[in-house]
Amino acid sequence: MINYKVVGYILGVLLIIEAFFLLISVSVSLIYGEQDYIYIFIASILAAVSGLILFLLYKKSSKEIGKREGYIIVSLGWILFSVIGAVPFYISGEMSSYTDAFFETMSGFTTTGATVLGTEQFNTISHGLMFWRCITQWLGGMGIIVLSLSILPILGIGGMQLFIAEVPGPTPDKIHPRVRETAKRLWAIYFIFTLSEMILLKIGGMNYFEAICHSFTTMATGGYSTKHNSIEGFSSPFIHYVIIVFMFFAGTNFTLSYFAMHLKFKRIINNEEFRYYLFFIFFFSIIITLILWLAGNGKMEESFRNALFHVVSILTTTGYTITDYSKWVPLCIMLIFTVMFFGGSAGSTGGSIKIVRVVLLLKNSMLELKRLIHPSAVIPVRLNSQVVSPQTITNVLAFTFFYIVTVIIGTIVISALGYDMESSFGAVAATLGNIGPGLGRVGPAVNYVHIPVFGKWFLSFLMLIGRLELFTVLLLFTPSFWKK
Amino acid sequence: MRIIIAGAGEVGSHLAKMLSQENHDIVLIDPDEDKLKQIEANLDVLTRTGSATSISMLIDSDVKRADLFIAVATSEETNIMAAILGKRLGAKKTIARIDNQEYLFPKYKDHFTSLGIDYMIYPEMIASREVVGLLQQTGSTEIFNFSGGKLSLHAIKLEDDAPVVNKTLAETLQGIDYQNHRVVAITRNGETIIPRGTDHFIVGDMLYVISNQVGIPDLNKYSGKEKFEIHNIMILGGSRIGMLTSKEIGNQHNVKLIELDREKSYRLSNYLNNTLVINGDGRDMNLLIEEGIRNMDAFIAVTGDSETNILSCVLAKNMGVKKTIAEVENMDYIILAENMGIDTIINKKLVTASRIFHFTASENVSSIKCLTGTDAEVLEFIAKEDSKITKAALNQVDFPKGSIIGGVIRDKSSFIANGYTLIQPNDRVVVFALPEAISKVGKFFN
Repeated sequence: MINYKVVGYILGVLLIIEAFFLLISVSVSLIYGEQDYIYIFIASILAAVSGLILFLLYKKSSKEIGKREGYIIVSLGWILFSVIGAVPFYISGEMSSYTDAFFETMSGFTTTGATVLGTEQFNTISHGLMFWRCITQWLGGMGIIVLSLSILPILGIGGMQLFIAEVPGPTPDKIHPRVRETAKRLWAIYFIFTLSEMILLKIGGMNYFEAICHSFTTMATGGYSTKHNSIEGFSSPFIHYVIIVFMFFAGTNFTLSYFAMHLKFKRIINNEEFRYYLFFIFFFSIIITLILWLAGNGKMEESFRNALFHVVSILTTTGYTITDYSKWVPLCIMLIFTVMFFGGSAGSTGGSIKIVRVVLLLKNSMLELKRLIHPSAVIPVRLNSQVVSPQTITNVLAFTFFYIVTVIIGTIVISALGYDMESSFGAVAATLGNIGPGLGRVGPAVNYVHIPVFGKWFLSFLMLIGRLELFTVLLLFTPSFWKK
Repeated sequence: MRIIIAGAGEVGSHLAKMLSQENHDIVLIDPDEDKLKQIEANLDVLTRTGSATSISMLIDSDVKRADLFIAVATSEETNIMAAILGKRLGAKKTIARIDNQEYLFPKYKDHFTSLGIDYMIYPEMIASREVVGLLQQTGSTEIFNFSGGKLSLHAIKLEDDAPVVNKTLAETLQGIDYQNHRVVAITRNGETIIPRGTDHFIVGDMLYVISNQVGIPDLNKYSGKEKFEIHNIMILGGSRIGMLTSKEIGNQHNVKLIELDREKSYRLSNYLNNTLVINGDGRDMNLLIEEGIRNMDAFIAVTGDSETNILSCVLAKNMGVKKTIAEVENMDYIILAENMGIDTIINKKLVTASRIFHFTASENVSSIKCLTGTDAEVLEFIAKEDSKITKAALNQVDFPKGSIIGGVIRDKSSFIANGYTLIQPNDRVVVFALPEAISKVGKFFN
């Protein structure tokens, strides 16, 4: 039996948290003396009231959270957050339809960064709404559940179920025996990174508003920018490098940052996923640098900066751009497209398949060749010189298979709406991987506004299942999940 | 408190559960990955796969910051080694589970302390002590003494002939001097209730009564059972508990021990001079009748198999044995077994946990008892100077929900608390508390 009462109770608590963050956006709006604070305020009241009703209704019920409740809470939590988070965009008239508003908000919470805002709108949108748009990414980055785990003492034992369902990666690491303490530490690291980036961006010449918004969306590997042409709107190479560094941090496992703070550098260097992460970034960056340099302008630093920026941005699934990469030579575009499937490290804010899975798949496939020659040999896959259990490998294989199947089905659906292959592939890979800009008609220089209503809902769904790592949401569609 | 538990067996995982519910930070080490996965999914603890005697594993588990290191793996050698290493690597206190009585002798204590083992527990020994204690107090199913018996907690099972059945608590107190004992809790179908005057007693209830010495004779007013002397005892199963119990009581009582394994029976008869060891199957009705089960005053089933223990006790009860005690290691069976009419259930895990809890409680808790059949605990606190509890009479103090003050020990006297009692500093106060209330209760005494 599924304990729906506890689901209601926790969703209520989550909505109250959302109301709080909407209120912050209201105050930003008020600081700039804007009229549309009222729309955000209405959404905040809506969240607070519905949250309180759920909270009070189920306050006294049993607080037992099993696996099923965990998956339901996380999936519904993200959907509810977007449903209410979209309200200010819609009622303010900034977005012409609720579909657009929902797409934009889901893209925010899932840290995708695919936008429906047109070039003109970037200049006219109010600060309050822009701030809300960026803070959705910041909340979604580390996870709304992880946030609630860290600030609320309510989720004792069941917390782990929620943690597993939300934190990316095949096996979430605990850095403290208690889930709550782990969540607190993760958020603290996240907060420190955000603050440091904010300061550096301010030094680099952004104004306070831009610095705050961009640090929110960098650390979440989200990719929303306050400018229509993303980071291209800031010409300073210093800003570009600062953002590269913080995108890089955001794509690493936050556990490693925790070790760094405790001066356990050996554990970082010995971490195989981290080493592969570095390797992939430099491997792709150097190739693209060389091609850009030889084929293009001949400016070494600029080519390197362009290559590194986009490789890091796409690989960590952030989605910032400093130039329109869809104008690059085809080989470079193909390489960028490939990088879309790597994703950040496990336990980072990045999306997509994740480095650790790619590494495990590579290793397992290579070992499979060896196994063919020595049929009776025991050849386990090792990671960080520890044997990875066959269950984990099966899980990774299943995940990757689902991922690829979803990409293919998604591409078919989008092509059915009349898009060419490049655009549909790009749109699906960019939304499922929580990247943002895709290729072709959804490339970095354009946006998603022209996609039909059905397509937008479909892509929103892809963003959600991508952020929650497929299983969490897909499980809800299996009959055995609902069987008593 | 940061606690490392080595060994995720029955005792280890039970401890992890209990201690993590009380907000301790638990790291659980075991070589069995599957077992740990299972535990981690249900408990808020950190698990590590590997050997507890591996130094790198211990360092990795941050043993130097551990306040308590508990080694409760299956093998005694592993536990001793792990505890020694744990201490050397910085754990503040170490506990090792052993299965050799010799190690517990006071004269050898220094050897182990110098090695780095602060405390050793022998669960079977603790369980057998419990059994022996119960044989002396036949009216209650479970007893625990505070401050050398000045106050004691009694668990009393209500059968259909108990005089208080269907009466309210207020009614039963009429005509009894309630200064001397008080019902602090009732467990009914696995739920623990802290009773008010208007609550009824029903058949099958387990009452927890705190009493001082004067009040003990009055306790049979609840159960209706008269105290009786035990002479003839039958023990089923030559397990360590069975063996230790026979050793302890063989001199004063007439003990028969039934063991299935022939080899083991020989060994037991060598070791137990005053016990009649019988080689046979305890589930065999004829054998039991032949050995005179009808004349037994007590029947103790302590084979390794919980099902056998429960069923044979039910059988013995039907044969007219007045006192039956069964060892039930499967936690889910405990309530079931109690409902089947077995007088007392003992559980190695719980008795061990009670002992270990002591080390995790704050310094003003002088003893703790975990009860079978309920997850509540009984704690003995020492009220500190200026603590919240000493500020006003009890009905003025907002004492946490889910807990109740039983009795107070002041100097040499002991009495039952009521609403007008004012706790004085240095009083020893016995509190019955459900798990969620324990940490709140602690604050009142600091």
